Amino acid sequence: MFDFPIFEMPTIGLRMLMAINAIIHTFVSHGGAVGGSVVLALAAWWTNKRGDMAGYETVYRLLMVFFIITTSVGALTGIGMWIHANIISPNAIGGLIRVFFWKWFIEWIVFNFEVIILLFWFMTWKPKALTPQGRSSSVKLGVFYAASSWVTMLIITAILGFMLTPNFDGQPWIDPEVYPGNVNYNNALFNPTWIPGLMMRTFSSIAFAGALAILWTWILTTFSKNEEIQETKERMIKFFATIMMVTVPVAAAFGYYYLLQIPEAARAMIPTAMMTRAFADKMDLMHTIISGIGGTVVLTTIIAYFSPKRMPYIAATLMVSAFLLFWGYEERTREFIRKPFLIYNYMYSNGIRVTDVPYLNKVGILKHAIFVDEDKKVVKEDKSNLIEVGHTVAQIECRVCHTVNGINGLKALTAGWSEAAIRNRINNLPGGGTPYMAPFVGTEAEKDALAAYIASLNKRGEIK
Amino acid sequence: MNWKLPFDIPLVVPTMGLPGWFFDTLGVIVFVVHIAFIYTLIGASTASVLYNIFGVFKKSKTNDLLAYKMTNPTTISENMGALWGVAPLLVISVLYTGFFYTAILKVSPHILHIIYGNIFAFLLSYAYKFSWHALHNHKGFHIAIGLVAVLTFYTLPPVFMSMSNLYLQPELFASVQNIWDIMLTPLTFFRLINFFLTAFAFTGIVMIYLGVKWVKAGGEEAEVGRLAIDQGKKWFMWAAPVNIAVLPLVFFAFTPRISEAYIHTPFVFLPFLASAVLLILFFFLLKRFSHVEMNASDATKAMVLMVVAVALMATARHGIRVVSFEEPLQLQAEATEKYMTNVITEYKAHKEEMKNAPKVVLDPAVSLADSKGCLACHSVDTKLVGPSYKEVAAKGEAADVLIASVKKGSTGKWGETPMPPQTLTDEEAKTLIEWVLKQK
Ligand code: HEC
Ligand code: HEC
Repeated sequence: MFDFPIFEMPTIGLRMLMAINAIIHTFVSHGGAVGGSVVLALAAWWTNKRGDMAGYETVYRLLMVFFIITTSVGALTGIGMWIHANIISPNAIGGLIRVFFWKWFIEWIVFNFEVIILLFWFMTWKPKALTPQGRSSSVKLGVFYAASSWVTMLIITAILGFMLTPNFDGQPWIDPEVYPGNVNYNNALFNPTWIPGLMMRTFSSIAFAGALAILWTWILTTFSKNEEIQETKERMIKFFATIMMVTVPVAAAFGYYYLLQIPEAARAMIPTAMMTRAFADKMDLMHTIISGIGGTVVLTTIIAYFSPKRMPYIAATLMVSAFLLFWGYEERTREFIRKPFLIYNYMYSNGIRVTDVPYLNKVGILKHAIFVDEDKKVVKEDKSNLIEVGHTVAQIECRVCHTVNGINGLKALTAGWSEAAIRNRINNLPGGGTPYMAPFVGTEAEKDALAAYIASLNKRGEIK
Repeated sequence: MNWKLPFDIPLVVPTMGLPGWFFDTLGVIVFVVHIAFIYTLIGASTASVLYNIFGVFKKSKTNDLLAYKMTNPTTISENMGALWGVAPLLVISVLYTGFFYTAILKVSPHILHIIYGNIFAFLLSYAYKFSWHALHNHKGFHIAIGLVAVLTFYTLPPVFMSMSNLYLQPELFASVQNIWDIMLTPLTFFRLINFFLTAFAFTGIVMIYLGVKWVKAGGEEAEVGRLAIDQGKKWFMWAAPVNIAVLPLVFFAFTPRISEAYIHTPFVFLPFLASAVLLILFFFLLKRFSHVEMNASDATKAMVLMVVAVALMATARHGIRVVSFEEPLQLQAEATEKYMTNVITEYKAHKEEMKNAPKVVLDPAVSLADSKGCLACHSVDTKLVGPSYKEVAAKGEAADVLIASVKKGSTGKWGETPMPPQTLTDEEAKTLIEWVLKQK
């Protein structure tokens, strides 16, 4: 990270900036596109098979909602994931693209199928709905759309799995002592959390899309002026609830299987990841909350299934919100337990590679910080630029996870600490109950400067 | 020259043995497709709002219908444009990683506008399209939605163009500090003029092409088709002349290092060639200006000429990259090699050192305290974040109390600063506290 220009996001911090995009993207693309495609294709097939033309029309209206959201918000936040990654971890995304270039290229080709089929499916639905042949070809398009959406998830979960568990049966994906790095592409792809992660995501996406479909069916049918459409409410909700009855338990089972594949050190971090550190020991509370959310999903699914008529708006909203919470936590946890690494055992969260550390400890992190002004790189004889140097060190090593004043702000975290205490803490950042923090990298002089800078944050008011 | 370049990513570029020209060609082709859709998006969304307004003022149903029909190319080109933008992004990220990311970082956070601004425009353009019939009696409101969508689309090229202009001129990494430094340059200005004029000219040809199809379909569509052909010609003929003049200028607005080197490569002919093709197309349409209907083969010819002109522009732009990147890529490779050699030497030495380091025999309690990170906040005899263990021992509280403090966290007993809860087994906590209490 030290070799790229420094961009700081005040107050909300870089991680939150990324998280906003990532969460929207996962909900919309995985929930809406991957899960949605399966659910809608099934619904189109089912209504058409039963000759239920009003139901078929309801499916079209649902498709319209999913189409609008996935092609705008979903597609662009997908590109956004890259742009955000460029800003936050250029070294990491640069490395991932070198490792996964061809897989991403294949994914892009599949994306073409996905988008073109979706455009076709949606834009030709109306003319094709008039004849039985038209409808059956329309249903086929839906099935192809679902298949291609799923393939795109297949590849992205491989990449996410790689970041968490880059080694396969102890076979390294790279030899750190060789330049340029000779990547073993197969070991990178076939990593232990790929398949479990994929399965969990597939089924939870379908379940989530089921919940979304129930909510939207409720809205669209309730506000429709057409009586026939209104009457489809009950049977459509029951149909989507049936899908959920199957997929919710399967997703939970795969979720457990996935959990077992996560490295020990990462698994130990789950409690902290789910809450904040202060909550880490309140496991009871956490279990209650999780059971509450899980229970809501299960309960609302059961209500929807056995009594679709009494699936009022509140229950449908509750169902979707519970899912959002659940998924949000799953995402957060997955991101968090990887800490302090971005790519496990290869690159720290702040973009510094593990191999870089001994060298940088010797020459200093700022020696190669190309975009930093010369007079902010080395502490002068008279120490007049001590704090500036410390500031740049903090920007380079700590800004990925810490802001100054905002979320996880260094100022508040060290309020009341003496400079000696801060210096001592920097000696052992991953210790002291914070195993998710990357170690300090750099010379002793840089450590002094960093401590002086952090200490100055809480002194600043007094000086002025 | 004051070069400031990041290191290269120290992993092999996965070319699968394919030659450089393969990736160059791939890059140009995917870019041409992408930009063709973006041209259409900008033009078609503009046309849709423009003819909607004409429809109201001229009370013309044909204009209104043309406006509605133009929402289809808008939808298709916005989806396909975004999708085909990914491929050039991927190719560039793998080949010119450092330059591309540096440019993006330099124009952050404004670059995020191409995501969030785009989503906003996308949603509005869908709202515009899908509310067409519902808002039929509220034309003012409806047109306002379309207009805001179009204007938002117009804000995207300046942002993106700034990033791309910075990326193409790595010597500016040292001096450009934010997006305005690069947006407010003659180069970005010229390239934007070129972009918008090409977009309108391109859309003119798309309208002719669609118009011919609609005329063939007959009925009410034929009327719209004739209007589209007539208007398409005008779009092209308004936009092309200035563009023909501006286009070659663009390539001389890069930094002196690039522009001067560019003159000595064959690439320099391409912008002029692109202008020439546009000129030919201009006369081709002029000859058919008074024809109300054009035949399909004329429309196809016009489309082919237009695409050729765009491809020539894209290749000329690729030429800039070739000329501009030669020296910095070389410098970057040398710097990275030197850096990585040092890194790997030091890494190996460190590993060796670790292997040979004599194992220090410590009190197991001390190593436990170290491994659990207690020593990050405590030392035996001086106060750090937390009290020294001597102080704790001197105070002499019962072991149970202290164990509870450590496991559950503690605050207020020694000062404002809290101790967060520490993850320890009962066994570990007991060992540690017994050791602490021995430190009197
Ligand atoms: C991988 C992300 C990450 C990086 C990189 C990181 N930190 Fe942290 N740090 C955290 C988290 C998470 C916390 C816990 C905050 C909390 O308790 O809520 C934390 C807590 C802290 C604390 C308070 C510790 C305590 O005992 O209460 C300090 C001080 C700190 N970090 C300093 C730094 C400094 C200095 C750097 C740069 C050299 C740095 N951190 C880099 C994630 C990180
Ligand atoms: C993030 C910094 C930090 C870490 C890490 C830390 N402590 Fe503390 N510790 C403190 C602070 C601050 C206090 C004072 C708390 C107070 O005022 O109540 C404290 C207090 C204590 C006390 C006195 C408690 C009391 O009730 O009087 C003991 C004993 C102690 N720590 C032991 C440990 C042990 C053992 C560990 C390692 C497992 C540890 N600490 C890790 C910061 C820390």
